[in-house]
Amino acid sequence: MERKPSAVLIVALILWTFGVAGTVILPLFDQEINSATASGELRNYPEDSAEARGREVYIQNGCQTCHTQFVRALPADTNQNLGPVSQGGDYKYDLPHLLGSNRTGPDLMWVGLKYNEDWQRQHLIDPQSTSPGSIMPSFDYLSNQELDDLVAYLMSLKPTEERLEEYKKEINLEKPLDNN
Amino acid sequence: MFTDEKWSSSKNWFIAAVFWIIIGMSMGLLTATKQIWPELLNNRWTTYGHVRSAHVMLVIYAWLSMAYVGSMFYMIPKLAKTKVYSEKLGNFALVFYNIVILEGFFALLFGQTEVIEYGEFPLWVDVQLLVAIGLVAYNLFKTVGQRTEKMLYVSLWYFLGSLLWLPLTWIVGNFPAQWIPSGVQQGLMGWFLGHNAIGLWMTTVGVGQIYYLLPKLTGRPLYSHQLSMIGFWAIATFYVWNGPHHLMNGPIPGWISKAGVIPSIVLLIPVWAVLANFWGTMKGSWAQTRTSVPLRFTMAGTIFYLFACLQGPLQALPSVSSVIKFTHWTVGHAHMGPFGAFSFTSFAAIYYILPKIVGREMFSKRAMEAHFWFSTVGFLVFAFSLWIAGVVQGFAWIEGVPFLQTVLMMEPYVQGRAIGGTMMYVAQFFLAWNMYKTIKLAKLEKKQQAQQQAATA
Repeated sequence: MERKPSAVLIVALILWTFGVAGTVILPLFDQEINSATASGELRNYPEDSAEARGREVYIQNGCQTCHTQFVRALPADTNQNLGPVSQGGDYKYDLPHLLGSNRTGPDLMWVGLKYNEDWQRQHLIDPQSTSPGSIMPSFDYLSNQELDDLVAYLMSLKPTEERLEEYKKEINLEKPLDNN
Repeated sequence: MFTDEKWSSSKNWFIAAVFWIIIGMSMGLLTATKQIWPELLNNRWTTYGHVRSAHVMLVIYAWLSMAYVGSMFYMIPKLAKTKVYSEKLGNFALVFYNIVILEGFFALLFGQTEVIEYGEFPLWVDVQLLVAIGLVAYNLFKTVGQRTEKMLYVSLWYFLGSLLWLPLTWIVGNFPAQWIPSGVQQGLMGWFLGHNAIGLWMTTVGVGQIYYLLPKLTGRPLYSHQLSMIGFWAIATFYVWNGPHHLMNGPIPGWISKAGVIPSIVLLIPVWAVLANFWGTMKGSWAQTRTSVPLRFTMAGTIFYLFACLQGPLQALPSVSSVIKFTHWTVGHAHMGPFGAFSFTSFAAIYYILPKIVGREMFSKRAMEAHFWFSTVGFLVFAFSLWIAGVVQGFAWIEGVPFLQTVLMMEPYVQGRAIGGTMMYVAQFFLAWNMYKTIKLAKLEKKQQAQQQAATA
């Protein structure tokens, strides 16, 4: 093999294929991530609905670079009151996925539970007016239509009532979710 | 139209790479500064999200990848004892590659993104970039094909593997979203690219560079051929499996998580094999790092590589991940491999190769020293700010400190990061200036020589 580049390439290709099979192909057959939960169904927005357009605005403006949509069953997330732990099926229709990797800002998985439309709109236009000290840039350059759509999308990020009740029972939390 | 001059591909890829490190790092510095002054240059085009994406994509696929290709256009023919298959094609691929990068850069500024980290360019750019990478790989495979040296030195293994893996991995990660059955599935595919752009391209070409440079710079043979084989095959076997750890503790089934975490820890084996080999080769040569800047860059690179690879498996432990995931820590870690380890080895490669190509020493030794110290000290300030910030932030979240308050707590660290980042950025101007001067003087000297020869003849 120390003399045959083709042999090196073939073995390298085989090893690569194993990794793809294990971490990319096999998951295709996993029900847990490939069938939608009831809350996941809520994110199956009709084409050209305000929520679907708002999701585009979210992506185009790079919201996902600072905000995750990814709640874990861990103290860091439960103590931050992030809401129900997210499941694979919640993301069935989340394409391109918006899981995110960095929380420069808070998680937005269930942000629709936490504020109303007016707050969201005000916060997008002037973040420091609702959250003093925030380092979120202002999105006042968006058109009214874009802002409406984006707010509609953010407000849609909610679990079903049952999921929420179940969660509240689980963590024995009677107070409403408010993440300042 | 495209020059056929010997080593012109290598030289031109290097020049383009250094141009892009300046652009790519200005985007990085702007990102860091926006975390202090959010309204700085905030508009539809250069809003935070766009600038951050552009930074990531440019430093990886413009700066580092072009520096890698530049290195390979020199190292591969040297190791194969032949010439580049086609310098013309190499130069053509460079122009094409740069046009594609420029398209991707503007696409990101206009808000077109695929969201996938390390694969954010939109599909129409991805396809073109794949063709450009294919042209480079074809040219270099052909070069190996016409070799006159029968033995394949270990660097060649790494280069061949990387040139095969990058395009394949690129396809998996950038697979069109509408053909993927679910968001988490796409997450797994995206992180397959996210991790293997590092594992099977940045790491493997970088390690190949070090294997080439060390014996050249120290004048000593490689410590162990056996170890280099173990290291290569262990990386090839285990790195591919690392993607899922990016979704750890998250919405993936337990078995996928384990399939990602275990190989991440096993990776300690190749890292040990590779580093033992590097440092074994260095035995008795460490004093040379005082005088040789390329050697010092290489060794600093190996040390940062070690730390990145100690952090990696540690971070893949679910307990550690539960504290530092999503914090500033990750950003610090994400810079150690690409900047601390492999940008450093690429700097070393440029300082070693460029003088050989243009036929004259680097113009300024002092500029090289400044480049090294600003890069190193800047990176340490940058990284430690982020690591400390990450741990503080992680525990504050666990304690249930309100989120906004944790943002305020981060202020001094975010400033520290920007200061370190400024130093890292300034350092690159020493590189660019030194390169410019060297190439210009070399041209001048050649002309004078030719004139003298003409006069005496």
